[in-house]
Amino acid sequence: MTDIVFPALSTQRPDAEGVVTRWFVADGERVTTGQLVGEVQVDKVDAEVDAPADGVLRQVVAVDGVARQGEVIGRVDVA
Amino acid sequence: MTTTTPTVPIGTTSLEPDVRRGLYRTMVLIRTYEEAIRREYYADKGPGFDIGKGLVPGEMHLSAGQEPVAAGICAHLTADDAVTATHRPHHLAIAHGVDLDAMTAEIFGRETGLGHGRGGHMHLFDPATHFSCSGIIAEGYPPALGQAFAFARRGSDRVAVAVTGEGAANQGAFHESLNLAALWHLPVVFVVEDNDWGISVPRSASTSVPSNAARAAAYGIPGVRVEDNAVEGVWAAAQTAVARARAGEGPSLVEVHTLRLWGHFEGDAQGYRPDLEGVAGRDPLPTYRAALEADGVLGPTEAETIARAASDRVEAAIAAAKAAPLPDPAHATDYVFA
Amino acid sequence: MTTTQEPVAEQAHGTHRMTTAKAVAEGIATEMRRDPSVVYLGEDVGAYGGIFGATGGLLDEFGPSRIIDTPISETAFIGLGIGAAVEGMRPIVEVMFTDFMGVCLDQIYNHMAKIHYESGGNVSVPMVVTMAAGGGYSDAEQHSQCLWGTLAHLPGMKVVVPSNPYDAKGLMISAIRDDGPVVYVFHKGVMGLAWMARNDRAVGDVPDEAYTVPIGKAAVCREGKDVTLVTISRSVHHALDVAERLADEDVSVEVIDLRSLVPLDRPAILASVAKTGRLVVVDEDYQSFGMSGEVVATVTDVDPHLLHAPALRVANPDTPVAYARTLEQAILPMPDRIEAAVRRVLAT
Repeated sequence: MTDIVFPALSTQRPDAEGVVTRWFVADGERVTTGQLVGEVQVDKVDAEVDAPADGVLRQVVAVDGVARQGEVIGRVDVA
Repeated sequence: MTTTTPTVPIGTTSLEPDVRRGLYRTMVLIRTYEEAIRREYYADKGPGFDIGKGLVPGEMHLSAGQEPVAAGICAHLTADDAVTATHRPHHLAIAHGVDLDAMTAEIFGRETGLGHGRGGHMHLFDPATHFSCSGIIAEGYPPALGQAFAFARRGSDRVAVAVTGEGAANQGAFHESLNLAALWHLPVVFVVEDNDWGISVPRSASTSVPSNAARAAAYGIPGVRVEDNAVEGVWAAAQTAVARARAGEGPSLVEVHTLRLWGHFEGDAQGYRPDLEGVAGRDPLPTYRAALEADGVLGPTEAETIARAASDRVEAAIAAAKAAPLPDPAHATDYVFA
Repeated sequence: MTTTQEPVAEQAHGTHRMTTAKAVAEGIATEMRRDPSVVYLGEDVGAYGGIFGATGGLLDEFGPSRIIDTPISETAFIGLGIGAAVEGMRPIVEVMFTDFMGVCLDQIYNHMAKIHYESGGNVSVPMVVTMAAGGGYSDAEQHSQCLWGTLAHLPGMKVVVPSNPYDAKGLMISAIRDDGPVVYVFHKGVMGLAWMARNDRAVGDVPDEAYTVPIGKAAVCREGKDVTLVTISRSVHHALDVAERLADEDVSVEVIDLRSLVPLDRPAILASVAKTGRLVVVDEDYQSFGMSGEVVATVTDVDPHLLHAPALRVANPDTPVAYARTLEQAILPMPDRIEAAVRRVLAT
């Protein structure tokens, strides 16, 4: 099992809060390493989130859900 | 790069006789051509002057008096170098080696013309010599940047020569092009033909500085002004500019104080032009001929021989154009898309 | 090709779900990998990835010699694209907003679009000009226009306007491969940008491999029998929303996504109107002298009797796009006006 964490978009505010703006992959779908799975945003900066491993995606924070940088927003279950 | 504007007067160069003869020959061919086109243009416009009538209808912008610019610059180019010209393109097309028959057929609007009659005198395109021209003032500069960009990326030492008039130096495209070419070190030679007149407006009424060569410094590139319409001065300035571009050192500006012998367009009475009476006396061709004969570069009858050869060539092109078929109206919408 | 609203449990084999912006970038990358003469020039297209995301990630893959940030000199760099294309390259050059075409329009319509014709077919200009278009987020008069009607009106350039990720990638590949000038207009509201209002129709499945969407062919993105809605770009999304709502009232709306304005798929328009007899055109460009009139004329040029009621146009009025939200929402062809037009054409 590998965590997907909210990337650090703001280096000045390491605990900055942001939003998960999209999941491109449904909960329970298979993903491969490097595949684009989601998108997050802190203030006006957004970033893509890629799968860190092969396996099954689990969404931990839903779309429009708030999370801090560094928080777990999803997981890839290596099954 | 200079902060003052050096000028290149006549006589400071010492060119080989062959080169000088070649320059003269090119200028005579151009003048002969322009005189013949002028004759054809007016032959059937009457009674009076109806611009849309005759075998060569529309506007006509002839380059008599500006031969030294074309001859001096193009002497340093090959068919692989690009030239973008203006609404007054014939001297540059001829000096750069555009096929005279195809060019003439295009001016006469024939199917056998460079553009199958679609472009006419202001829109001459010759892929074989990378020659193009445009009727929009200053807008020939930007595409020349692109040709230079492509040449440089392929690792060649080919250059693009971009020509405009002095009036164009006040258009945005001029300034954008100088900046971008300088910034990206593109192998471009920018040429400004200062013939004193933007149609009826003298340079003093259009341009905030005494010479456009001085504007080059604003973009960090060398600028040179050649005075007295001196073909050998143009040759020398172009040699430096073209060599600089070929060596990958970037663009330069060469401004030539040249002479518009005739009107802006054919049919221009030039009532606005106070120097009209003295214009014929400043014709560069007799001056250069006299200099070459005095130096023994041209023999006593050589000028006549050259003139006759030019006339034969030009008349053959015109005859061929007149005999060529007109474009078929049923195909008027061909060539819109590739 | 319908766009899905939610990710489905199983994605089709060999596809990935992404935003339209990402699909645009993928289309560009696909061709850049295949053809070294393809380069992308524009303002903020490098490290920034394009103001609207069209070149996201491309600088990392292709480097600064192929993804090139330009000075603010549209005339110079559009012209540079023309010269490079004439010499055999396939440049893509970006005008950041369609609204900015005024500063470089000469190079676009008097040079890029005319050189092939002026040269009797002897000189080709295989270049793509990308432009972002459209309003709906209060960017006001000079940053909210579509202007594809103006571009389509000027001969010599193809004009394509994708509405969804699948078409965005396919049309970009077609545009780059076309041997002539193609203007590729993308509405900011279809790009799926995180910093604009969420639009689920801006996300969709895109095949991994290279594929083309033909230029000049419309898509029937929703079949119907009661009324034909012809539209393009962001308005396709609104049209689909309206069609879905009206389906609950047993009104069957056929939605045609033109995808290209030049060439215009006139047979597709005629076939649909022949079937339904009722036409509503939705266009986010100014109403008069543009795309909507051209679509109606497409029908009346051939057979006005195909129409059982006058054709209706839902477009921006001949008015600049205002800043205040209440005004902008009244100017743009929003779903409420589209629905009202459909009801009116059915009642006639």
